[in-house]
Amino acid sequence: MKPFRTFAFLSTGLTYLLIFVGGLVRVSGAGMGCPDWPKCFGRWIPPTSLDQLPDYIDPAQFNIVLAWIEYCNRLFGVLVGITITITLILGLKHYANFSRIRWTIIAAFVLTLIEGWLGSVLVNTVLNPITITLHLFLALIIVMLLLYAAQQAYYLENPDSEKLSRYPSDIQWLFGCLALLLFVEVILGTEIRGGLEMIRKENPIIDSQFLLHMLGPFKYIHTILGFIITGLAGWVWYYLVKKSIHPSNIVVQSSTAILLLILVQIILGEVLVFFRVIPLVQLFHLWIASLILGMVCVQYSAWKMSQIAHE
Amino acid sequence: MGAVILLGAGASWVIQKANSSYDIPILKPVPEFSFINQDGDPFTEKDLNDKITILDFIFTSCAGPCPIMTHNMTGLYQSFNQVEEVQFVSITVDPDVDTQDILKQYAKINGVNDDRWQFITSNIEAIKDLKKNGFMLYAEELPRGHAIKFVLIDQNGQIRKYFDGTEEASMAVLMKDITILVKEFKS
Repeated sequence: MKPFRTFAFLSTGLTYLLIFVGGLVRVSGAGMGCPDWPKCFGRWIPPTSLDQLPDYIDPAQFNIVLAWIEYCNRLFGVLVGITITITLILGLKHYANFSRIRWTIIAAFVLTLIEGWLGSVLVNTVLNPITITLHLFLALIIVMLLLYAAQQAYYLENPDSEKLSRYPSDIQWLFGCLALLLFVEVILGTEIRGGLEMIRKENPIIDSQFLLHMLGPFKYIHTILGFIITGLAGWVWYYLVKKSIHPSNIVVQSSTAILLLILVQIILGEVLVFFRVIPLVQLFHLWIASLILGMVCVQYSAWKMSQIAHE
Repeated sequence: MGAVILLGAGASWVIQKANSSYDIPILKPVPEFSFINQDGDPFTEKDLNDKITILDFIFTSCAGPCPIMTHNMTGLYQSFNQVEEVQFVSITVDPDVDTQDILKQYAKINGVNDDRWQFITSNIEAIKDLKKNGFMLYAEELPRGHAIKFVLIDQNGQIRKYFDGTEEASMAVLMKDITILVKEFKS
């Protein structure tokens, strides 16, 4: 029982780290650091010099730093894959009769396999933009599934966690809207990034501070939706923290964390718009979005638990 | 919070390492040569000065890798259309067939409408010599045995790097390298 919960939380944490590392690969331009898959320049460990390259790969593609960045991403991906596999085995062993956990962890495992395969598609298509977005999208779903499974396992062991709490009962749609809008916002963000890359391709030597100006009105949709999400998250916070009786710590903390993270997102977003497109800020902007999605998942699970407890 | 700062510091270090990892070595200078372009104007090694040049060897009737190479070169030609420091040079390896008129036509078909991309020719012996001894590329059994490389040459006429002209992934690297050389040249 407990080992499953430990591994589910471990998988969640490691997947979050992997999302960060994946974003790092992207912003550091190391996506094609290894031009083949699963090997890197035909080897299981990247080459250290040009004469170790196989004949069929153009030596111009070899950059030892980028190769190692991408290689570390893949190694870390394997580690996360193994952790999720162990979580699946433990889940099937201990929670075979709890369909909520069983199907969630099976789904996470299957999506992880697809995610690995998508990694190979990315390399084969020389970083096709739609595949990149799909790769991120799946990672977000996987991390939410893992978090959900971990939290459900926690509730099975601590069934009284939400016994005292009383939340408004008709706000399911709010969670749905919030999660949906967050997903749309992330996709819009990746579209902005894709747009910037297109502009960079057409104007290769442009300075980064001019990049966003060339993107047109499209970028404002991202900002407007950001404000709508802020309002919605504030509304959820008000319902769960102020309009509820004895809200649990999990709910108070996750609701407050969402608002704080959104505030950080606004600041980072404005830095990107008003200063310049700084890779490190881009990376955190995306990563924090994934954390917010996770927090919404936690909020919903806790609310749902409370509803079930009072049925 | 400490963990986030650590993550940020680590990521910052990785990004910095990646940014400074682009190595474009100076290989050798392009030797003297005196060819003519599709308009009959002379084109010599001096025309490589003060430009970042991408050069390849093709022949217009080639059905093998040349269409892919020219397609990739066209992509670069369009990408850098606002950057006057970048020029493209294609040398024919079949001068008997690729007359000035044919080269002109070939340029037109591929959407070349300015002198940023020139198609140059000479006699077969001079082309072979330049290819083999000047660019260190395979030059036997011309025209069919021509190499598929794109050669990146800097503003001082120095050969900097070779790229597989048929590989999409190599083109992405070439684009990045051209950008770096242009920025270096301008600064």
